[in-house]
Amino acid sequence: MQKSSFSTPPRRVALFVTCMADMLYPGVGIAATELLERQGIEVVFPMEQTCCGQPAFNAGYRDEARVLARRFLQVFGPMVENGSVQAIVAPSGSCVTMTSHFYDVLFEDSKEQPLRQLAQRLASVTFELTEFLVDVLGVTDTHARLEGTVTYHPCCHLLRELGVDEQPRKLLAAVDGAQVVELPDAVDCCGFGGLFAVKNAGISGAMGRRKADNLARSGADVVAMCDVSCMTHINGILSREKIDCRAVHIAEILNGQLGSRLHPPEEEPPMTLERPRRWQDATAADAAAKGEKGGD
Amino acid sequence: MPARDDILNRLRTALRQPELRFPPPETHRLTADDRMTVGTAEGDRWALARRFGAELETLHGTFEIVETLAEARMAAIGRLQMWVAEELAGRRTERPEQPGDRDILIWSPDALPIDGLTPALSDLEFRVIEPQNLHDPDERERVRYARAGITGVDAAFAATGTVVLGAGPHKSRAASLTPFRHLLLVPISRIFPTAEAWMAKMRQDGTLTDFLRESRNVALVSGPSKSADLEGILTMGVHGPKILHAVIFDDIEAMIRG
Amino acid sequence: MAVINLEAPFKERVANALGDSHLAPAVVRATDRMLQARHKAMNSIDGEGLRTQTRQMKEDVLRHLPDYLEQLERNFQANGIVVHWARDGVEAGEIVRGIGLQNGAKTVVKSKSMATEEIHLNHVLEQAGLKVVETDLGEYIIQLAGEPPSHIVAPVIHKRLEEIAEIFHEKLDMPRTMDPTEITSAARVRLRNEFFGAQMGVSGCNFAIAETGTICIVTNEGNGRMVSSMPKVYVVVMGIEKVVPTVEDALLQLQALTRSSTGQQMTVYCSMTSGPRQPDQPDGPEQVHVVLMDNGRLQMLERGYGEALLCVRCGACLNVCPVYQEIGGHAYGSTYNGPIGAVISPALAPEIARFKELPHATTLCGACRDVCPVKIDLPRLLVDLRSDLVEAKTNPRVEQLAIQGYVKAMSSREMYERGGKFASVASNLLAGLTGGEIKWMPPPLNGWTDHRDFPPFAKKSFREWWEERQKLRNRE
Repeated sequence: MQKSSFSTPPRRVALFVTCMADMLYPGVGIAATELLERQGIEVVFPMEQTCCGQPAFNAGYRDEARVLARRFLQVFGPMVENGSVQAIVAPSGSCVTMTSHFYDVLFEDSKEQPLRQLAQRLASVTFELTEFLVDVLGVTDTHARLEGTVTYHPCCHLLRELGVDEQPRKLLAAVDGAQVVELPDAVDCCGFGGLFAVKNAGISGAMGRRKADNLARSGADVVAMCDVSCMTHINGILSREKIDCRAVHIAEILNGQLGSRLHPPEEEPPMTLERPRRWQDATAADAAAKGEKGGD
Repeated sequence: MPARDDILNRLRTALRQPELRFPPPETHRLTADDRMTVGTAEGDRWALARRFGAELETLHGTFEIVETLAEARMAAIGRLQMWVAEELAGRRTERPEQPGDRDILIWSPDALPIDGLTPALSDLEFRVIEPQNLHDPDERERVRYARAGITGVDAAFAATGTVVLGAGPHKSRAASLTPFRHLLLVPISRIFPTAEAWMAKMRQDGTLTDFLRESRNVALVSGPSKSADLEGILTMGVHGPKILHAVIFDDIEAMIRG
Repeated sequence: MAVINLEAPFKERVANALGDSHLAPAVVRATDRMLQARHKAMNSIDGEGLRTQTRQMKEDVLRHLPDYLEQLERNFQANGIVVHWARDGVEAGEIVRGIGLQNGAKTVVKSKSMATEEIHLNHVLEQAGLKVVETDLGEYIIQLAGEPPSHIVAPVIHKRLEEIAEIFHEKLDMPRTMDPTEITSAARVRLRNEFFGAQMGVSGCNFAIAETGTICIVTNEGNGRMVSSMPKVYVVVMGIEKVVPTVEDALLQLQALTRSSTGQQMTVYCSMTSGPRQPDQPDGPEQVHVVLMDNGRLQMLERGYGEALLCVRCGACLNVCPVYQEIGGHAYGSTYNGPIGAVISPALAPEIARFKELPHATTLCGACRDVCPVKIDLPRLLVDLRSDLVEAKTNPRVEQLAIQGYVKAMSSREMYERGGKFASVASNLLAGLTGGEIKWMPPPLNGWTDHRDFPPFAKKSFREWWEERQKLRNRE
């Protein structure tokens, strides 16, 4: 899908937070919001948004997927069409792939051409978060700090459907204090695959363990990625296999919410931009909370 | 309806459907102008000869480049003698000689780029066999144990170390296939940079399609027989020759001098 | 040694494959080696150009397939090749058997061929009392072991040297040896006898040239040349999609094939047969037969999966597939495995439901599309098949209900938010039992927790945070 080039930089964008980030990882949505706002972007969050329909589409349920695709287009379409936002940004490569590539498949039928065209127009202004930061806003350094070793896992849809790879790597490389290491066999799929993870759980688990082994070999404390679904799978494996590495969404690193967490903090999330906690502070705090001794 | 018509009719019907998802309604045949040359090789005839040899070496073949036909004849004979000596030295049995040791399959003199090989080899107690009819049981048995084969080439591609071997009345396929060792006589004039260059020349001369059809069999051979079927470990000489040696010689100088 | 049972249910085959601790390492080692070679071979040239041109050529072939097939047939016949047409595998098998019996063949030597695997030709010929010998080293080994191939180009990829040595010892009464050279020599001697004794040779066809009526087969070992040169009768079984227009197109496809497959610039042997030997030629077959076979290809086109007919059977998509690397080929339970097998097995079958598990046995990661020498959009074809499977009502009812339930929940803000709250409470309860992470979920979600943990839903969602922040800001 051909992306729009902006003659004037966009000032207002709609955040498509994605259902998983909304419900499971609010910290990712918060980080994305703050990252954008710090660039002077006004973020709009349409409360009517739910899910893009990807699970249904991938499983072959196209009628069902179309219901959610129409909903997405109804929620985001008018905002883009009337110019109240200049772009849609989502912190998820696979959800962006769904809305900007696979809606085109869903509305292939000749009767559906108006929706297909709407989907195409939206697709041209829909961006994955790091893609938006780097390609549209020209940001290469978010002035974040992370003391620790970090590696990057390129999620399949992001890498192969959207062709986004350099952007997150560039942003990660600029993180102060972070030692970025290469992940062996980085481009291998982690084995999530949506319903595949349940339908073919054995294969998915084996693939996940292979990824986890590579993460262990990389020596990274955290692995950054641009998709919370793969992140859930990878973290689930790492936790089950008791491997000392955590998967985090890149936004959390870039926004300086260091260390991220599988669970949102118990305390109220910050309502205004605060100075981010440091990575070692976060781990120390975690260790203290669990009553563990340091230097074990 | 016969299967043929059934298949073709159904195919035509399917392809006429405007809603057919694939192939696209408009497709474009590649033309000579837009066709790419996949591999490349450059330079004068010596550079191409060296490149051909180097590529052959990466394919586990060997080569030597000589300047004249006489030298090529010597090189070929020397190589065959060396092979026999090697073979015998490698045997641990009391009677090292075995049937076929000194048998050589060869293209007919008409098809070979070097003359005088058969008499010279016969003098050295080689049994030189020009296959006439392999479906004759006696000849089949004779051919079977020959340890070496000598052939020319119809063409060679420098970029890939490939030779083109067309079958013909004087050009036995067995000579390049059944023996353990294969000696290639490669006149430098037959070395083309690439497969594409060879095809272009043949196309231009109007001989490409006739060459394929009249030969009835054309083999493109790039190195000795090999397999990686055993745990990915390379093994040589599975069915075809295990050892492939090319004697490359300058026939152009000779042609110029007449 | 693991027993290969292709008739076992898919889940069982997968479980067997995953349970074999030697399988994945063997497959990974072999496929990685081929992939690295492919990478080098494609990157040393304009690999993208080669893929683009090969696809362009093959698309044009498919668009004009009936015309090219007629041209091919005319030229075959002009060259003295007998042309047969077969609608399906049964017809093709009968034709080949008929040729064998008519010529009094007792032994048939075969060069590795997926088309003949597809129609179980060996079985058909053996039923008719013929001895069939596979002559590709790998194929010979699995024939001795009584197994089907597990990879399109490397049929014995799943076996370790120890196992191969054991097979040679057991079946050929050969002293146990782990020396690959000795094993190869033993095979050479035995198969040489078969080549010289066989009355009939059978092969598939990598491509056939329409303008000259030429069959091309590609091998590294030389068995393809043997099979097409030594016996009196040579029979070729080819899918109707294997035709290419010109000699130049053949060379183009050859290079795309070998570079993608094993990473070679050229295969060791490309044997191009344009007919029986001429009367004055010393060797070559006296009869050449070609069986042009449909066997589901037309149906594949009609069903909308024509793109998969561009496939040149290089196996690169298998090599790069992380699922194939974990389970190998046999778990697929079909002649064709890996990503391309997951597409063409159901698409070629009379009922797509026959292989209904295969389109789901992939994460849609797309690595296969990126290495395909003709750029087949395999992930797209796989989701299309999944959609067709839903339409054919082959999926479990409970899955359909779950999807419908999820779509309903996602269809209104109110239901979505209420569902989220419920999930948050329930998942935090579950997580609380096991100290932070969810370690167990009820079926069918136990598939997840059998292998990995799941985090509880957030106590406060993003949208709640957003709303609160909006309120806060509005107050300011």
